[in-house]
Amino acid sequence: MNEPIIQIHNVHKRFHTLRGTVHALNDISLDVMPGEVVVIVGPSGSGKSTMLRCINRLETIDGGSIVVDNIPLTNARNINKVRTEVGMVFQSFNLFPDRTALGNVVLAQRVVRKRRRSDAATKAQNLLAKVGIPEKADAYPAQLSGGQQQRVAIARALAMDPKIMLFDEPTSALDPEMIKEVLDVMLDLAKEGMTMVVVSHEMGFARAAADRAVFMDEGRIVEEDIPDVLFSNPSHDRTKLFLSKIL
Amino acid sequence: MPDERMRTEQLHPPSDPSLDPLVQEPQRWTDRILNWAAGLPWWAIILAVIAIFVLYSMLSSVAYRRVIRSLTDDPQVSTDDLFDVVQIVGEPTMIIGRYTDETRDSVETVIAELLDTVIDSEEVTRTGFIEEETPATLTIQSDEGAFTIPKGRVTEMDPPDAMVGSDVTITYIDRVTVTGVLTDRNDKTMTVRTVNEETVTFAKDRILSQDIQTIACDRDADPNCEDREVIVIQRQGEIISGRLNTLSQTNMSLELDDESTREIRRSDVDYFNVPTLTIAVNVDMAEAAVGEGDEVRLGFAKETDITDALVELETLDEVPVPLRYADGDARVVLVPYPDIVAALEAADAGEIDAVVYLDDSLDRLAVADWVDANPGANVMLPTPPRECERNCDVTVKLVDDEVTGTVIKETDDEITLRTVDAVYIILDRDKIVDDRRMEPGVCALNNLRGCDSGIFLTLRVTFMAYGLALIIGLFFGLMRVSSNPILYAISTLYVEVIRGIPLLVILLYAGFVVSPRIRDTFGLELTDEWEAIIGLAFGYGAFIAEIFRAGIQSISRGQMEAARSLGMSYPQSMRYVILPQAVRVVLPPLGNDFIAMLKDSALISVLALPDLLQLGRLYVSRTFRAFEGYNTVAILYLGMTLLLSLLVRIIERRARLPR
Ligand SMILES: Nc1ncnc2c1ncn2[C@@H]1O[C@H](COP(=O)(O)OP(=O)(O)OP(=O)(O)O)[C@@H](O)[C@H]1O
Ligand SMILES: [Mg+2]
Repeated sequence: MNEPIIQIHNVHKRFHTLRGTVHALNDISLDVMPGEVVVIVGPSGSGKSTMLRCINRLETIDGGSIVVDNIPLTNARNINKVRTEVGMVFQSFNLFPDRTALGNVVLAQRVVRKRRRSDAATKAQNLLAKVGIPEKADAYPAQLSGGQQQRVAIARALAMDPKIMLFDEPTSALDPEMIKEVLDVMLDLAKEGMTMVVVSHEMGFARAAADRAVFMDEGRIVEEDIPDVLFSNPSHDRTKLFLSKIL
Repeated sequence: MPDERMRTEQLHPPSDPSLDPLVQEPQRWTDRILNWAAGLPWWAIILAVIAIFVLYSMLSSVAYRRVIRSLTDDPQVSTDDLFDVVQIVGEPTMIIGRYTDETRDSVETVIAELLDTVIDSEEVTRTGFIEEETPATLTIQSDEGAFTIPKGRVTEMDPPDAMVGSDVTITYIDRVTVTGVLTDRNDKTMTVRTVNEETVTFAKDRILSQDIQTIACDRDADPNCEDREVIVIQRQGEIISGRLNTLSQTNMSLELDDESTREIRRSDVDYFNVPTLTIAVNVDMAEAAVGEGDEVRLGFAKETDITDALVELETLDEVPVPLRYADGDARVVLVPYPDIVAALEAADAGEIDAVVYLDDSLDRLAVADWVDANPGANVMLPTPPRECERNCDVTVKLVDDEVTGTVIKETDDEITLRTVDAVYIILDRDKIVDDRRMEPGVCALNNLRGCDSGIFLTLRVTFMAYGLALIIGLFFGLMRVSSNPILYAISTLYVEVIRGIPLLVILLYAGFVVSPRIRDTFGLELTDEWEAIIGLAFGYGAFIAEIFRAGIQSISRGQMEAARSLGMSYPQSMRYVILPQAVRVVLPPLGNDFIAMLKDSALISVLALPDLLQLGRLYVSRTFRAFEGYNTVAILYLGMTLLLSLLVRIIERRARLPR
């Protein structure tokens, strides 16, 4: 294909805390092609979340460059433009608790995309149907199960018509029964050709949907390959150690 | 997965409603009412009922009713005195017509005079040439531009026969000022009462004569008008009795039986009777020395109250010799006479040494008159008759006068006349060119605008100040969570400084430091009420800012990140995601602050505002009824705070999210 839609070059990110400096991203480079699904795995604290958050600039970077859909993430003016093209799904759902499922999906369409109320509501209803919970449109987040909440969160991100979806451990706060319903939605998305960067340790999903798997440790990308190869036949010891722990 | 679903269905088979314990007993209406009642804030309702009961028992006591009336701005049930207004109207013809209509009779002269002061027209003079003339208007072209003037408004034209094209100086009525009381208002018109109706009520036995007069109507001005009949009553001047407070050359002031005072102009007085002490002395005895054991014979007329007279006598500084009986321990013999002339003749004859006379009737100068009339008599007045000047009972008769008007009420002993009709002017709202003044009129249930003291002032100041404090608090609260260090520093400074100063001091600052500065720098005159509102609002703004800060910070960071990741800007995320949640969190502390502010509003009385507490204090200092006064103040505050906490509860409950 043509050009990568996400270009991460030599990115550094440090957190300065009272107890010292954490080098959360250490010279990270990663390109993602349009339509590609990349799964990121790695031990806790390896910088996976930080990397995702840098892609839509919830964190600023200290060195290197990130270009998303040909827009460099350099100044603040570009940022909302990039964010509308990049949807993000969080581990803890982060639904707006004072709005119904439908209201959650409608809000940003109205505020950011300036869509008419009826258009936004129709689109929201369609998206809720797509993620499999059309009947929950009027329920408040507190009245939904975790899996249902996460699916509303996906619908909410999709409502902005993003070109890229970022998932940060979308299923790790869920009971096993609910994991599948969320992964099914993500699988459908992948089949439709959505560009996705997914932090997840769901091997089944990675094998089924991902074009590439990336293993990170201590702020670096240790190795990347197609999922089958990376998971069954990794070349680095650290990857082997990690995989042996989680499988 | 399908297996699992099967299992669940077996566990919960599609059940017969009658077997399901939840559905078995359908909710009856009694249950629903009980559920609803259980959710009400009962403690507040019980307290409110008690408060209402206490208020009721207070209202049914006269003393309390008087306090409550004075604390609530003495509201009427209904009034037509909605606003005091001054309106400038661009179309004067209608009013001019009314004005000339009322100028013929003496009664109407009063109206005309009043109208003169309340309706004031502005004349404008312009010089130019007549550009165009229509049957109704003239258009003149002058240096200042072209003016089209209705012919009806022209008061002077020079030359009078000017024609199109010729130069002319023209004077016409430009605008008219109407001053009065707004009594009614709708989309199209305003009704202004420019002259108040005046009525007099007096006892029928004062009527000397009466006469019916017909006032002919001026059919030239108004072809439909009707002649009017008025009654002209000659009436006797009123007779007023009371205690004399002051007596001067021009005025006297009486304290009447009902403890009110009445000022009377001496020129309105026909005559008045004050007790007057007169002493007449036998000429031979005037110089005589009175020694111990001597006898002094004092004569008096039978109708004289001799005890009072002797008391009056004691107050005289310069007592003539025979009367200084006390000096030499003389024996006083009081000799009554049938009338004063007999007593004087006895003094003339030397039977008695002196005559003491105290009288407040028309005859009070009788002694002086007799001495004047009998120059040869052996009697003299050592001091002139002495009128009482204060603290004595007095009777005043006013001069007779004439009243004209129409009878509106008549009972067996009283009659009520309307001497001046109210004059209403209906203004076309389109023609009003300037609202010069609109001040709320009388406090009444249909005109709450006019209620501006006591409980109304307290409530109004509290609501306005709280609204302003919310805005200030939100503003500074947002600055407190801002990442901009300057904004953060400013708001922290504000919060720390204001929180460290007593509210009373802040109010005094607002009233006596800030407000004069604002007047000097911007020429903006703040009313006392606004000073109080600003003081309270800034004082409470600091606390509310802290409440908002805590509320915003209590919302998890993920909410802001989710909003930002959807492409919302920081202000949008605040406005649509964070604040709606934060407000729910801070409702209870905000409600507490509201109630606290209602109570703290009592401090505004330091700015000389007639709020609830201030009126209560005035009442107590006037009547010394501290018990009733402060009881009522406390109960009214308590009632308001209870109602408010009920309101706050209801709002909180409505804002609660379903779980
Ligand atoms: N806001 C922050 N301030 C300070 N340090 C941070 C911050 N966010 C992350 N870090 C540190 O940066 C490192 C990388 O964190 P990150 O959250 O990216 O790890 P992760 O790979 O997502 O781990 P996990 O699997 O537990 O989510 C960690 O050491 C973490 O402590
Ligand atoms: Mg993480």
